[in-house]
Amino acid sequence: MEQYKLFINGEFVDAADGKTFETIDPGTEAPIATVAQAGKADAERAIAAARKAFDKGDWSGLTPSARIAKIQDFADQVAQQGLRLAATECMESGRTISYARYAPLLTIGLLRNLCLLAATKFPWEEEIPVSGNVFAPGREFIRREPIGVCVGIIPWNLPLEIAFWKIAPALIMGNTIVLKPASYTPLTALIAAEAAKAAGIPNGVINVIPGPGGELGKTLCTHPDVDKIAFTGSTEVGREIMRLASNTVKKVTLELGGKSANIILDDADMELAVEGAVFGTFLHQGQLCESGTRVLVSSKIYDEFLDKMKKRAESLRIGYQMDPTSHMGPLISKQQLATVEGYVKLGKEEGAELITGGKRVEVSGINGGFYYAPTIFANVNNKMRIAQEEIFGPVACVIKFDSDEEAVAIANDSIYGLGGGVFSTNTARAERMARGVRTGTMWINNYHVLADFCPFGGYKQSGVGREFGLAGLHEYTQVKRIHVVAIADHKTNMSFQLMSDYKKIDGFSYNCPTTVIAGHGALSAIYKAIADLGCRRALILTDPGVRKAGLAQLVKDALVDFCVGIYDNIPSDPDLETVDAATTVARELEADCIVSVGGGSVIDTAKGVCVTLKNGGKANDHLNMLVLTEPQTPHIAIPTTAGTGSEVTNVAVLTSKSAGRKLFIVDTKIMPNVAILDPRFTMSLPKDMTVSTAMDAMTHAIEAMTSTMANPICDGMALQAIRLINENLPLVVADGKNEKARLNLQLAATMAGWAFTIAQVGLAHGMAHTVGTLHHVPHGAACGIVLPKVMRYNADHANDKLAQVAQVMGVNIHGMTERDAALAAADAVEDLMKKVGHPMRLRDVGVTEENLAICAFHAIADTAVLFNGRPVSDPNEVLQIYTQCY
Amino acid sequence: MDLIVQEGVKRDISIIKLEPGAIQAIKTFLADKGIHQPIRIDTNFSGCCDASLCLRVDNTLDTDLTIELEGITFVINPDTYQLVGEVTISYVDEEGRKGFVLKSSKPIGEWDGFGVSDIKI
Repeated sequence: MEQYKLFINGEFVDAADGKTFETIDPGTEAPIATVAQAGKADAERAIAAARKAFDKGDWSGLTPSARIAKIQDFADQVAQQGLRLAATECMESGRTISYARYAPLLTIGLLRNLCLLAATKFPWEEEIPVSGNVFAPGREFIRREPIGVCVGIIPWNLPLEIAFWKIAPALIMGNTIVLKPASYTPLTALIAAEAAKAAGIPNGVINVIPGPGGELGKTLCTHPDVDKIAFTGSTEVGREIMRLASNTVKKVTLELGGKSANIILDDADMELAVEGAVFGTFLHQGQLCESGTRVLVSSKIYDEFLDKMKKRAESLRIGYQMDPTSHMGPLISKQQLATVEGYVKLGKEEGAELITGGKRVEVSGINGGFYYAPTIFANVNNKMRIAQEEIFGPVACVIKFDSDEEAVAIANDSIYGLGGGVFSTNTARAERMARGVRTGTMWINNYHVLADFCPFGGYKQSGVGREFGLAGLHEYTQVKRIHVVAIADHKTNMSFQLMSDYKKIDGFSYNCPTTVIAGHGALSAIYKAIADLGCRRALILTDPGVRKAGLAQLVKDALVDFCVGIYDNIPSDPDLETVDAATTVARELEADCIVSVGGGSVIDTAKGVCVTLKNGGKANDHLNMLVLTEPQTPHIAIPTTAGTGSEVTNVAVLTSKSAGRKLFIVDTKIMPNVAILDPRFTMSLPKDMTVSTAMDAMTHAIEAMTSTMANPICDGMALQAIRLINENLPLVVADGKNEKARLNLQLAATMAGWAFTIAQVGLAHGMAHTVGTLHHVPHGAACGIVLPKVMRYNADHANDKLAQVAQVMGVNIHGMTERDAALAAADAVEDLMKKVGHPMRLRDVGVTEENLAICAFHAIADTAVLFNGRPVSDPNEVLQIYTQCY
Repeated sequence: MDLIVQEGVKRDISIIKLEPGAIQAIKTFLADKGIHQPIRIDTNFSGCCDASLCLRVDNTLDTDLTIELEGITFVINPDTYQLVGEVTISYVDEEGRKGFVLKSSKPIGEWDGFGVSDIKI
């Protein structure tokens, strides 16, 4: 008789205590081989070898493609052992030779397919282009790395294949493994170890230790050097493995029991369905976890189906498993046979109708063996124990149903959810059924088909995790996120500054890609611009006032044939519904470009439309910050005011009715592609709007300089914007037709937009947002009123910047202290406001004194305040400023 | 331990061995549920491949082997007894592990005694 030893650290060795056990042929009850029986000491030795091999890195450290070569050698060695493996598999498991002969082929295929999949399709490294944390920019990626030492515990039904369900993914993904085969069927795993050794798989990478699970299980599942357990077997044992593994928080995948439903619909091809039910239940004597042992049959065809299934079952040849004419071989053991008999007896006691089988079978010429006839119970109630418990033998429970819904309900009335089938000539109907069953695999007009690239595993108490395919490979890796900060400087790290008194952000990224076309007659450039963008179907978005003034028509004419329509239903303070309505029109017209003609409301709406048009859904789906990874629908902005700077900024402000406030889309990808600054579009802007929008731009510029995110590029933009506003606003107020001055105000607004879109704004904006929301004060007017007071509040935290502001506003700061110069800048802003007739007090624009306190509380919570140069945390300070403004 | 066969023939074979704490746990279970039926020692499948022993509330059948211990009647089918031999019942109540552990002198599977189970009703 052959003798087999344990395989530990690349060597075949005896058990430490010298114990052995015999395996037997279940078809004859004759012994096959003597096998070394591992005990606790051997398990510990195997784990130590696997740990050492993993930590050494000569397997785990290989690249996936380097591991391929070794796995292919391994597959070749398995191929060389193919005949021996098939014969041994057949003899020790009772699997018929006609079935077992496929096992080596399938095993080789699994090894080759999974290693190629791992090397070519598995996402070992994966970029995360958008992290979701806007405060910590940097490269984000994940690496998938092997877990470590895996324990594979396999059952006796398909010992060769299931051994490789554990070995293949574990090794391919860079792990090492300790494999414990079932005590009934240890031989093929040990032959696999021979193949591994011959292939040069490094010592310790594979270890095979046959032995009793009850004795070895605790060591394997609790040892601190084991990182993962992959188990196929009973739910009761799986549950205990999970519990033991939890003490050291090991990763666990479990493929457990099943009581799968094979549903035969009334429109099924009868012959196909009968074959499917017989194959689904009786293959390998029913000793397959996913067997369709509950055969659910439509009442419309029940009698005919049952009759045919009975005849087909009775035609199956039961014989010695090595006989190539046998359809069914023996059960694995006398215990298995007795347990199946017990369930058959129980079924009769429960009232099910035994229509065939239910008895042992003697095979001619063989004295012994654990043979059992294919057995069918009819009129089974799904509540019976024979319908609820897995019998793991050739016993089919046929259950009648009246409707598709009832069939799904019966199928789902089980603690298990591993497999299942539907037989129907109507694929759509069958697929609806398949979707309704809570199970890991559903076959339509087929059964028992597993595949290397298709995941297999259970719902409910049928298991945890998946085997095969990418899902199966993922189970043998763990995910490591790596964050590489964009700018490695502690004064640029916003997180670190939570525990620092230094609040300024020194480093920055400047990315403002909008093409600006400016000057008298600049509008005509839109014809080339839209062609350059590759667009042909522009939708103009505007508001009724701008349209009435004829400006939208000017743009339409400039677009020649490239305009598909004008949409003007955009109010001030647009909400999400405004965007959705405009998007619907854009979709109907198949617009490929948005041209916005208007102030900030129109341009912001257009930004929302571009995002929604590109990404689908509704505007509410896209209220995010810095999550877009692709260019959006092209957008050309033509501002008709000179204030918001929205034509070049990365923000769209939109009101959410459900949130009761203004929310934002903030993203570099929403900056318009082109901004056209044509002074003709602001010539008709009334004086008060000209002034207030200019003060909005002034506030953008000054706050961009004094914010925590200020930087020299933005400072340059801001200073030029301030200078232009200071010089040109009085000219425009004096003469609204001064086209050159109008253009300069447009340029100032754009530059201020560039400045604040990177550097952010501050307290003045927070306060203006609040009085705008609570008292409907025009944004620009509110900004202007609070700006000088906030400048004075910020003075000691931004004297240098404010002194520069004073200079560009024409203040002679020679001889002044920096602080005095800073305060002079605030005075200069107030002088300008007076000169151009800007309201000076909140009371002048409808704010009531009793509401100032509540305004202070709202303002301090405004996002803009986070970036104010002087930290703001006391609402009383804000109230004082409001009071000064009042 | 004496085994009392229904037909009234008395033989000196042991069908059950109770570890300390097991009988009290069974009593508590039955009392909590208000059950006054025997406990059957049985085999069942709990999924793929491995049969296991279990305890089940049941009625006595004419063919059963029975024994009464501390007021609790245990029954076992003779065929089952033939298969598994003497069954040892212990009770564990540890963190995350609570229930009955059953081992038999002739194990029905290699995971004999590994898992824990409740009494099935």
